[in-house]
Amino acid sequence: MKKILYTLLTILFFSACTENVNDAMQEKQQPHIYPDYLGVTIPVNIAPLNFNMADAKALCVDAVVADRHGNSLHSQGEEAVDFDIDDWHELLGKNRGDSLNVTVSAKYADGWHTYRPFSIYVSADSIDYGICYRLIEPGYEVWSKMGIYERDLSSFDERTLIDNTQFEGCVNCHSFNRGNPADMSLHIRGKHGATLLRQNNGPMAAYNTKTDQTLGFCVYPYWHPSGKYIAYSTNTTNQLFHSAGHNRVEVFDSASDLQVYDVEKNELILSPLLKQDSIYETYPVFSADGRSLYFCGARALPEGSHKLDSIHYNLYRIDFDPATGKFGDKIETVVDAETQHKSISFPRPSYDGRFLCYTLSDYGQFSIWHHEADLYLLDLKTGESKPMTGANSKDTESFHNWSTNSRWMVLSSRRDDGLYTRPYFCHIDANGVVSKAFMLPQKNPKRFYLERFLSFNVPDFIIKPTDFDGGNASRLINDDYRKDFGVRK
Amino acid sequence: MKKIHILFTLLFGVAAILFFGLAYPHHLHYQEQYQLFLFDSNYVWDIVKHPGGVADLLGRFCTQFFLYAWVGAFIIGVLLSLVQLLMLRLADWGRLYGLSFVPSFLLWIFLLDENALLSSVWTVLFMELAAWFIMMKPGGWKRYVRIVIAIPLLYCIAWPAHIYRNPSVSPELFSAVVILGIALPLLVYVARKWLQPSNIVSMLGSFIVVAAIMGLMIKQNCNFKAEKIMAYDFMATHQLWNRVLDTVNEEKPNNQIGVTVQNLALAMHGMLVEHGSEYNQNGINGLLPDVQSDATSPMPTAEAFYQLGMINVAQRTVFEAQEAILDFQKSGRCYKRLAETNLINGNYEVARKYLVALQKTLFYSDWANETLPLLGDEKAIAKHPEYGRLRKMAYKEDFYFSDHVTPDMLESLLRANPKNRLAYEYLTAYYLLTGDVQSANNTYRYYQSTSEK
Repeated sequence: MKKILYTLLTILFFSACTENVNDAMQEKQQPHIYPDYLGVTIPVNIAPLNFNMADAKALCVDAVVADRHGNSLHSQGEEAVDFDIDDWHELLGKNRGDSLNVTVSAKYADGWHTYRPFSIYVSADSIDYGICYRLIEPGYEVWSKMGIYERDLSSFDERTLIDNTQFEGCVNCHSFNRGNPADMSLHIRGKHGATLLRQNNGPMAAYNTKTDQTLGFCVYPYWHPSGKYIAYSTNTTNQLFHSAGHNRVEVFDSASDLQVYDVEKNELILSPLLKQDSIYETYPVFSADGRSLYFCGARALPEGSHKLDSIHYNLYRIDFDPATGKFGDKIETVVDAETQHKSISFPRPSYDGRFLCYTLSDYGQFSIWHHEADLYLLDLKTGESKPMTGANSKDTESFHNWSTNSRWMVLSSRRDDGLYTRPYFCHIDANGVVSKAFMLPQKNPKRFYLERFLSFNVPDFIIKPTDFDGGNASRLINDDYRKDFGVRK
Repeated sequence: MKKIHILFTLLFGVAAILFFGLAYPHHLHYQEQYQLFLFDSNYVWDIVKHPGGVADLLGRFCTQFFLYAWVGAFIIGVLLSLVQLLMLRLADWGRLYGLSFVPSFLLWIFLLDENALLSSVWTVLFMELAAWFIMMKPGGWKRYVRIVIAIPLLYCIAWPAHIYRNPSVSPELFSAVVILGIALPLLVYVARKWLQPSNIVSMLGSFIVVAAIMGLMIKQNCNFKAEKIMAYDFMATHQLWNRVLDTVNEEKPNNQIGVTVQNLALAMHGMLVEHGSEYNQNGINGLLPDVQSDATSPMPTAEAFYQLGMINVAQRTVFEAQEAILDFQKSGRCYKRLAETNLINGNYEVARKYLVALQKTLFYSDWANETLPLLGDEKAIAKHPEYGRLRKMAYKEDFYFSDHVTPDMLESLLRANPKNRLAYEYLTAYYLLTGDVQSANNTYRYYQSTSEK
């Protein structure tokens, strides 16, 4: 019996994909790998770019990553190449600002094929510690298991901050001040609705953000660089569904306003300019210097109208004085998308004040459900916008944000299958040149993304682990106590 | 004589099998459709890493066989019998032999609840095994060692964390099973000198008394109304339209799901317009009722949407129903339908995700393997008897819809393909049920004039 067992184990061991790439047919084309990492620019501290052959027929895949100095890294696997994480970081560290050459071979039924090598450029600009995102099925109105997670970008480690097994409801709108989790906010919807706020690494507290002078609960938060304010919108949100075609759902506002929350005074600061009935105002963000508030605004539809394709959001700006918390007295149009019959969502200024990235779609503000949605880069010096061609795809690009050094962007894209949102990263240099976007690395990417039936919702950078106590947060959520937001008189 | 108790256990097991196979088969189908057991290491690890994960995994593994009710009934019968046999080993029951059946009977009653999960039975089995392991000889310090081993092990493999589908409910009946599972052997141990000697008469007597009391409790706790509703849902899932009509002809349904399925079966046979009035109706709510945010009631309506060619509406309804499963599990039935709707809509990569997952199942893998080659093959889809037909019947123009199905939606469907007999049946029935005879006549004339071309 033991002999049979040993024989079986031996056969199993040697049948695994560990063999020399001999007599390989030399292919003129570059390999078709998943994810597409050909010619991408990566940060020096990114996790290994493991990959699979894109087709399902490969029996084995082999890769050699080499630099100009004779250093190399080899991996071979049945499904994916899986580089040793320490060796990978060592190799990248030695090649900061330089490129690596990747030679891929794949074994098929007719033997080994070796493809024309491709390059990966290792940027001298590092990327932040990680990203934080919500994982949720891309559904309609009902939700199953969901939660907020953080992922270390230099490894494959993912950690749950909180999920809805800990309370009854939905969690969303995680937000940090320039990626620093010392200032953090999080929304809970449903029976235990609340906004959890943590300022300057202090204790987390649960708030009721709904007041009698605002439309509803505060959403879409954006921290002021000082940490003293948070810009919010309040939205009356509706959904309608598409009867045919690839589009599934339209999420739209039938009313929305803006307000800024003074964290220290626990007061919402309102302005008549930002709560006009004739305008839908949403997605407020502070400029890098904290002296402007950018936001999206569209002319409101007549009551009861469902001409959703006529809702076009422009990009606007209003002055904001951080010393007094007062708004300016006029609204300035920054990008007029309406005249192009387009619509802007998710404005995100770079933290160096140089650019502003936004999503442009045909109409509306909930661009994740718009296959045509693309990212655009606004040069804040010249006022010119251009499509971020390297980062865009034929399918949806939507939410995005900048790394703290303003050289990397994390963006949500549905390019993989048209439905499930995945995080991609691209490099943007000082002149606004955008590199080809690459997908968040995984140990076995094909298996991981095929088997995960969840979208990465609102991926945003964090500069360090969030140190979020999910147990304490769920106690706060399940407790009835909520501190009410006040309103500045 | 010594082994006479085997006969009683056998009797109990056979009774359980017959009960679940004959009287409660659709509860078993119901259980199966709210989970998706995958032969996949990640899936297994995600379950077993939690306290009580092994019992949960075994429960899920067994539940996949509930697709075939008699196999499910057999599994339940065997497991409940094992619970009794292990209970028997925990004490010398003597004249109170019949009490060794109490936990099994209570678990039987617990399983009458459609939200009770089979992991509950495995949990009790593991608890009994742990108790038996602790109580075995020799005693003394070795017993303490066994306690130290058994308790954390029991926590890991059989903590009752997932024994009920609704996580916010702590079922009291299951707590009673656990308490009695501990208390009864202790009681018997304390009273051991009064319980001996026992004989066949006392064993039989105590068995009959327990079986009679528990039998009454089973009868009281049976939910045959739910069983009938689940039967309609089962017939809709498997498109057993003739069986639906046989069933409604025997007994008219008096619940919304039953009426919805009845009308779908009538429409599938082209009888809804002409014969709909001969059956129980629930106004327009019996045709395409508003979708609720639960996992069960939308499914028959979703089947009607799908058969009508309202593919996006069906897709949304099924997706939402799956999301509403209380313990966050996925559903083989829903995955299958979502693969189909995405395939019909040409969203092949999304369909592939569902199909690849279904390839890892025991009972859906053949279907997934047959369907995967269709992805992207437009000619094969066009020729497919179901998907090709539904593509033709589907909406051609995009418009927005909300939670209510309106006659405009059915009208638009019929105009997109005037040969869509089902759309004609539903639209005309809608007008008839709302008393709009003029519109019903117009629809009839439109259908007659266009479908003949």
